[in-house]
Amino acid sequence: MGKRLRGFCLILGCFLSVFAAMAQQMVSGIVTDAATGEPLIGASIVVKSEKNIGTVTNEDGKYKLRLPESKAYTLVVTYIGYVSQQYDLEAGKGKEINFKLEEDAIGMETVVVTGTRTPKLLKDVPIVTRVITSDDIRKVDATNIQDLLQIELPGIEFSYSMDQQTSLNMQGFGGNAVLFLVDGERLAGETLDNIDYSRLNLDNVERIEIVKGAASSLYGSNAVGGVVNIITRESTEPWTANVNARYGAHDDQRYGGSVSFKAGKFNNTINVQHTTTDPIELFDSSEGNKGDYNQVYGNHTWNFKERLVYNPNDRLKLTARAGYFFKERDKSASDVDRYRDYNAGLKGNYIFNDKNNLELAYAFDQYDKSGFDKVKSLDIRDYSNVQNSIRALYNYTFSGKNTVTVGGDYMTDYLMSYQFTEGGSHKQYTADGFVQFDLNLSDRFNVTTGLRYDYFSEADVQNVSSKLGIMYKWNNCSLRASYAGGFRAPTLKEMYMNFDMANIFMIYGNENLKPEESQNFSLSAEYIKSRYNVTITGYYNLVDNRITTAWDQELKGMVYTNISEMKVVGVDVNAAAKYPCGIGVRLSYAYTHEHIAKGEPILSSTRPHTATARLEYDKSWKKYGFNISLNGRIMSKVTTDEYTDLTSYEETERVTYPGYTMWKLNFSQRIWEGININMTVDNLFNYKPSYYYSNSPSTTGTTFSAGVSIDIDKLF
Amino acid sequence: MCTMLGAMTVSLSACEGIFDGVYDTAPAEELKDFGFIEVDDANYSGTIYVDATDYTKWIYVDLHEQVVDSTRIVDESGAEIPLGESGVLPQSWDFAIHRYDAKTNDGAVLESGSTGFDVLISAGRIPEGTYVTDEWTTDRITIDMSGMMQGNIKYAASNYNSVLSSWLDVDTSTMPPIYSLSNKVYIVRLKDGTHAALKLVDYRNSNMDKGFMKIEYIYPFENVIE
Repeated sequence: MGKRLRGFCLILGCFLSVFAAMAQQMVSGIVTDAATGEPLIGASIVVKSEKNIGTVTNEDGKYKLRLPESKAYTLVVTYIGYVSQQYDLEAGKGKEINFKLEEDAIGMETVVVTGTRTPKLLKDVPIVTRVITSDDIRKVDATNIQDLLQIELPGIEFSYSMDQQTSLNMQGFGGNAVLFLVDGERLAGETLDNIDYSRLNLDNVERIEIVKGAASSLYGSNAVGGVVNIITRESTEPWTANVNARYGAHDDQRYGGSVSFKAGKFNNTINVQHTTTDPIELFDSSEGNKGDYNQVYGNHTWNFKERLVYNPNDRLKLTARAGYFFKERDKSASDVDRYRDYNAGLKGNYIFNDKNNLELAYAFDQYDKSGFDKVKSLDIRDYSNVQNSIRALYNYTFSGKNTVTVGGDYMTDYLMSYQFTEGGSHKQYTADGFVQFDLNLSDRFNVTTGLRYDYFSEADVQNVSSKLGIMYKWNNCSLRASYAGGFRAPTLKEMYMNFDMANIFMIYGNENLKPEESQNFSLSAEYIKSRYNVTITGYYNLVDNRITTAWDQELKGMVYTNISEMKVVGVDVNAAAKYPCGIGVRLSYAYTHEHIAKGEPILSSTRPHTATARLEYDKSWKKYGFNISLNGRIMSKVTTDEYTDLTSYEETERVTYPGYTMWKLNFSQRIWEGININMTVDNLFNYKPSYYYSNSPSTTGTTFSAGVSIDIDKLF
Repeated sequence: MCTMLGAMTVSLSACEGIFDGVYDTAPAEELKDFGFIEVDDANYSGTIYVDATDYTKWIYVDLHEQVVDSTRIVDESGAEIPLGESGVLPQSWDFAIHRYDAKTNDGAVLESGSTGFDVLISAGRIPEGTYVTDEWTTDRITIDMSGMMQGNIKYAASNYNSVLSSWLDVDTSTMPPIYSLSNKVYIVRLKDGTHAALKLVDYRNSNMDKGFMKIEYIYPFENVIE
């Protein structure tokens, strides 16, 4: 800990002690690391119900605390990176109470925001939240969110849909039923119902929070099956500079750089990333047809992110950001697809006092697609989605432990598309308001409930979503039960499409679509003990009016339509352990059962059993450290009935897609403070699909990549 | 709302987006001019541009008279009715285009190894090799794709020149198909024994709509190699 911080902690300690000047009882003791016995300097000891009574430990890890009355108190001891402890102090005279804090090896003290839209410790959040930390991102050396989620979470599968576009299946929910956010903001643009995952790079990401199940009472449309929220890192250092590069198979190259500096009340971060990859030839098509596709197109991307934070005083924080993304995909010698995104935002956070805070935000996001014709050298745009939104979010804390959150958004949504008549455009606005009560009825018992109203102008859809979550803590166990509603309003695309599909058939929009609705019931049990965490969650989802295209005999084309109720039932098990010797294990398993009635235009294709596993070992010295981790992804086979004729939903044939496992071995080394060298063997056991289905991994066997990341500021 | 937001953000006010200037717009004249759009009589060369988007249309090219005519394919027998002002089916023509398919009028075609005319001209002679004549087909000329979902695409019986049609490869193993121009110059030996050099340079219009075929030609090729 730096001298400055230590000094600050001592001053804070003196300040807090002033309140205890008229003490009637006195406690003192020492706070140490449970594993090493080393004193912890600057650990805070506060009275639970009266947070202004407290102190911090001195340079020897010792503290003294005067308590104003001779009555029973509960003391809470916290220290960053350690599991906090409570102590029930009986009324009486001075006492010596020593605390041995255990390292928070599995991150249960991480602050998360997605589940309730207010900061909460992971162990206290009433909705099971999975966190992927920047450390996890570094260990698996992932470039974008797609690579990362697949290796970190079971039940997630990214496969190819038509035109080699990426399609997500998260335990039965597709790309448009899982809401992706960046710092709580929505993303514009989609292709075949999925946002462009490649624009979500992982440079300067602090953590990613994943909440499964419906969450429309807080987030509105699209939060039908889950929310994935990417949280940007904010540097607190005077300056930082990082450059990184990686090279791998198929001429896969990644270069990145970040610079941040703090000048007075300003803090600025700029990040640039560039990637290129060659086409991947999966098999030689002259040797017979071994797949739905034989080549993965090559591409290159550019990604710029800029963020400026201004803190005029302790209460006000203003954030301005801007970003640009560009991707070019080479389909053939003359045919190139281009994707661009421009985004920007302004946000103000104001803390009135420890009870009230307000956030006002404006966000702009524009996602464009164009075709670049190399013959004519013309770049013709055929798709543009522009979203402007404003938001207000207010939190009020009462009785020191309960929070009311009230908020609302207004958004304009503009869509120009080649899939509309003559490449035309449509516009709509959406408005919503929501309220949430987060009530801690006792130390052990939390009830969270919320309600949200959404309105979509073009579909003239009104929707009310609600939720109720109950959490009960008992020793090291937490039990959670929840009901949550989800919905997805029909999009402009689904309402107005009028698209000639290669002269084969037309796809028509439907202005009378009803919103998709989901009801999510979940029960979970969690066991936490410093270095162990086990969570079991069972859930039941009812999804009604899911929107998809179905063949219409009269129109001789596809028409967007609502289908009848379907069910998704499943169990998630997650177990993690981290030992002081440096060994860590994480095992996650997901079982998913999707039930769709016969005769509906879509059929289940979700793999029932999936799992991820990580075994790691790390060791660190002053000038050198390393981490070796083995990450596995196990996907069961899936057998499904597919329609033999795409224009009638009667005759089916049974199809089985094979299961597979993929393992990745990562060896990362730290040299001095700032140099990290990463070496990765992907597909360790050389798995090659005998036939490349759209849901097969597009691998050609074992590959190797190596990268380096230098934190220039740490070298000085 | 945009006005209000505009006041907040000045440049980011556009509810319909920003940076339109990044993109090109299709030249309007190129979208509607068809036929022999460029003719250079001095060099016996030019450019033919046709709208071949219609599955039931043959577009006939007469290199001698520098005119283009078209017909409607009536049914699977391949019977045609005239679409031109003359009211009769084209009589003197040299080659014809249906979508990306091509046929000749009793001609034969050789794919040269060259991607440009200059090399062939400087060689000073008509390229030699196996000139391939048309073949009679019943499964090439697609006139109705709408039954594809039920597995019945309708074809018209017709002549078809496989060599000239290879000017554009349409790989339908993936959806949507991948289009690749061969970029080769094709030598067509016409019925009267003269030769034409043709190169398909594009299959899309400026709006990126497919089925607009742009062909550069030299005719008679004999006149430029002397």
